[in-house]
Amino acid sequence: MTSPNETAVEVVDLAKDYGPITALDSVSFSIPRGSYHVLLGPSGGGKTTLLRLIGGFVRPTRGRVLLHGQDVSDAPPNKRPTSMVFQSYALFPHMSVERNVGYGLKLQKMAKEQIREAVDQMLGLVGLEGYNRRMPHELSGGQQQRVQLARSLVLESDILLLDEPLASLDAKLRKDMCIELKRIQEKIGITFIHVTHNQEEAMTIADRIAIIADGRLVEEGSPREVYERPVRRFTADFIGENNIIDGRVTGRNGDRFSIDTGFAEVDVVAVGHDIPTGTEVAISVRSELLQLLRESRAADGRVQTLPATYVEEVYLGLTTLHLVRLPNEIEITVRQISGDMAGSVFQPGQAVQVGWKTAEARLHTE
Amino acid sequence: MASHPLLRHLAGEDGIRRWAFYVPVAFMVLFFAVPVALTLVWSVFERTIFWMEPGFTLDAYVNFFTSARAENYLFSMIHSAVAVVVAFTIGFPVAVFVRRRVPTAAQHRVILLFIIPFMISELVRVFALRPVLGRNGLLNSLLMKIGITSEPITVILFSNLAVVIGDVVSFLPFMVFAGFLAMEAIERYVFEVCDDLGSNTLRTFKDVIVPLAAPGIFAGSVFIFVNSIGVALVPTILGGPGAVNAGLMVNQAIVALDFPLAMAISAIMMLTLLVLLFIGHRLFDLTKILQPIN
Amino acid sequence: MQDSYRNPWLYGAGWAYLLLVVAALLLPVFYIVYISFNEFGFGARIYTFTFDWYRLIGADTILVASLKWTLALAGAAMITAVPMGLLAAKFYKRTRRKVAFVFLMLSPLFVPADIMGSALLVYFKNLNGIFEGLGDILGVSWFDDWFGLGFITALIGQIIYTVPYAFVLILITMSRYRDQQTEAARGCGATGWQAFWQVEFPQIRVGVFSSLAFVAILSFNEATRTALLKGGFDTFSNVLVAQMLNIGMSGESYAMAGTMTMIAILVIGTILVVTLATAGRAGRKALPKAEPVATAS
Repeated sequence: MTSPNETAVEVVDLAKDYGPITALDSVSFSIPRGSYHVLLGPSGGGKTTLLRLIGGFVRPTRGRVLLHGQDVSDAPPNKRPTSMVFQSYALFPHMSVERNVGYGLKLQKMAKEQIREAVDQMLGLVGLEGYNRRMPHELSGGQQQRVQLARSLVLESDILLLDEPLASLDAKLRKDMCIELKRIQEKIGITFIHVTHNQEEAMTIADRIAIIADGRLVEEGSPREVYERPVRRFTADFIGENNIIDGRVTGRNGDRFSIDTGFAEVDVVAVGHDIPTGTEVAISVRSELLQLLRESRAADGRVQTLPATYVEEVYLGLTTLHLVRLPNEIEITVRQISGDMAGSVFQPGQAVQVGWKTAEARLHTE
Repeated sequence: MASHPLLRHLAGEDGIRRWAFYVPVAFMVLFFAVPVALTLVWSVFERTIFWMEPGFTLDAYVNFFTSARAENYLFSMIHSAVAVVVAFTIGFPVAVFVRRRVPTAAQHRVILLFIIPFMISELVRVFALRPVLGRNGLLNSLLMKIGITSEPITVILFSNLAVVIGDVVSFLPFMVFAGFLAMEAIERYVFEVCDDLGSNTLRTFKDVIVPLAAPGIFAGSVFIFVNSIGVALVPTILGGPGAVNAGLMVNQAIVALDFPLAMAISAIMMLTLLVLLFIGHRLFDLTKILQPIN
Repeated sequence: MQDSYRNPWLYGAGWAYLLLVVAALLLPVFYIVYISFNEFGFGARIYTFTFDWYRLIGADTILVASLKWTLALAGAAMITAVPMGLLAAKFYKRTRRKVAFVFLMLSPLFVPADIMGSALLVYFKNLNGIFEGLGDILGVSWFDDWFGLGFITALIGQIIYTVPYAFVLILITMSRYRDQQTEAARGCGATGWQAFWQVEFPQIRVGVFSSLAFVAILSFNEATRTALLKGGFDTFSNVLVAQMLNIGMSGESYAMAGTMTMIAILVIGTILVVTLATAGRAGRKALPKAEPVATAS
């Protein structure tokens, strides 16, 4: 796919154990140069460990880390072409903004004049002109994170690692910072690797998203790919608001598989899959693609339906959630733009049908 | 340079230097844990005229339990228990008051006040009780001036009472520190809940504060108890003719060149401490004390 | 203090009680300092202010020599126990066996002076015997007297006594330090040492300095362990104990106790003033947090 000199990071069979606990279990993947790569996953899933292994803050139990084709597995952080932005509290509280940002350059023994120039330029880039003399405790959370960003960027490393950099900010500020991070990355064109557990944040900034859970790389793709066509059941469960129904393959007709859910039979299209009859599978459909119907429609093959019992309606402003229960007691969420189903008011306990276009469901074998 | 991973690990940037971090552990094991544990071994060695030689004899223990020493040990335990109760009664309310009523920002500074007496030599503080408690001392002249007594009370100094007072004065700051540390582990909202539920001060103290602060109180109490038994200075300076505690007995045995006996008393003392800590740990989980520094 | 429904009288009573306890602990000490300046000593009906007793100390060659030993021991304890406390605090942060480690570091607090001193005394005597035996077997005298009682053994006793305090003090200041800052420094290109010295140390300086002062004072005050382990020389407190037991309460012993008190108060006072002043300055410097900057676009 990418030739070595276009690859910023390559990790090969990388693993980290903390005593008996496995934080990361044999992960291999690569990140192309100049991309904004997000490592997304639940807390404790190993994504931060992976980032810290790339940055050299922890030593791998097994495996190798290659940065720009060079094996750096044994190099400490200061000998790697990376710099890191931390979650919070990582500014040096006894140094002014100026000295924080200039610290790395001072270590490189750069002349004072040059340092000042570089610092001013960086503070401009992150929108903090004139804050040179402030101390960290005089800054808001968002400003502190900007200073951290400037401190890392000023080193002109080729790879910037960001460890949940927005986690301590409130929702509004996080959104603004997201857009700005993306803008800065596009402007300077280096590789950003950003760890987060926040889906929305990942969708907003990423060129590519790697989903990491239980110490493994689950799936990788563009935001659109992982949202619209997740391969794994885990991804479907983790990203977006998917309804997952378990079942068993009972038959096949070309790319079309028949699935027995235990109370009804539905068809799912899965191109290029070869799944033997009897396999345990799961199908997933996003909640906004579901429809509620009063009665079963003639099965013309383009729409699939399941019988259900209406539970309740939750009004959320822009959208309204309709909760229904399948015969196997699984609850299904149907999300509609509020007012779309005007007139079709359901009563709790009423029998309904949940339906979707056949092409919109996905089949997961693992 | 493909060398063995262990070699690379050792020679890595922060490889050799990592071993420096083991110096304190090594030092404490070598010069604290080992000698203290070995007291048990030395206590069964054979006594020689000036020293001792390897062997196995229970002479030292027989000597301890058949002389007045066992009785004295028991008495010093009783005095120490009294000192603990007095120190708790005086010191713990201070910790509670500071934690509950003093503004949070000032709490540490107020507790720092108790550093001052703590940092003045125990020797001086104990010695200073002599002119206060003595026949012509400060206390007696005060009592006579108020008219409570017309004759100076002579039984205060050089008595068991003086020893208890000396122990309390010596170790009280520890009760305040340990108590405050324990109180710090209790979230402030706990007190607000108590106020909200209308619990009065005494009930709050008995039902909430004491149980929650138990590990800290226990640690402070054990400290005072053990040091009251083991520090020879207090009975030496303040006690009457027969006043003896474990520390003084060890000291006397060393002076008499009866090393196995000294080691036997030390070992008994250490076993007393271990039993206390074991009971305490079983009752309150002493690791909770470490919360504030975690 | 009328921002709550609490009884202000009770609050006042609480303070009164607290100060009373501090005063009760300090009063006897101040009383002997007061006596030490009386020409006629303790129990006299007349009080004439004099420095004579202190002059007597200055003229006493034994005391001056003991003071030198005391200072040498205190200095040596400072430069060994404090770095060790620092290393121990750093070790605590990285070790997985935290409880066992803290137990090891703090348990010397629970072993009384006479017990610890005696155990170490017997230990050193045994070690000496073993090493000398080893030397005899090998036919060299190089091993002789490694652990003969003297300055080094007294110092070891004092280190065991003072390290727990240094450890706890540094650990408390260090608990406010975030390890991410070390990593950030490493990420900026600092070596492990640079990260420690330029980023971490300035933030735990208060703890290190106060433990230096603590160790100095504790060492200065220590008498029992030193008496057992010192060998040939005497420290100031050793002489004081001997005087109190042999001569009783002489004017000179009051002056010696006074000297020890004043030195302790001087050192502690300095620390308190410096600590509070630094805290005060930081408080004044803290401006209200700035408004968030609008997103530059």
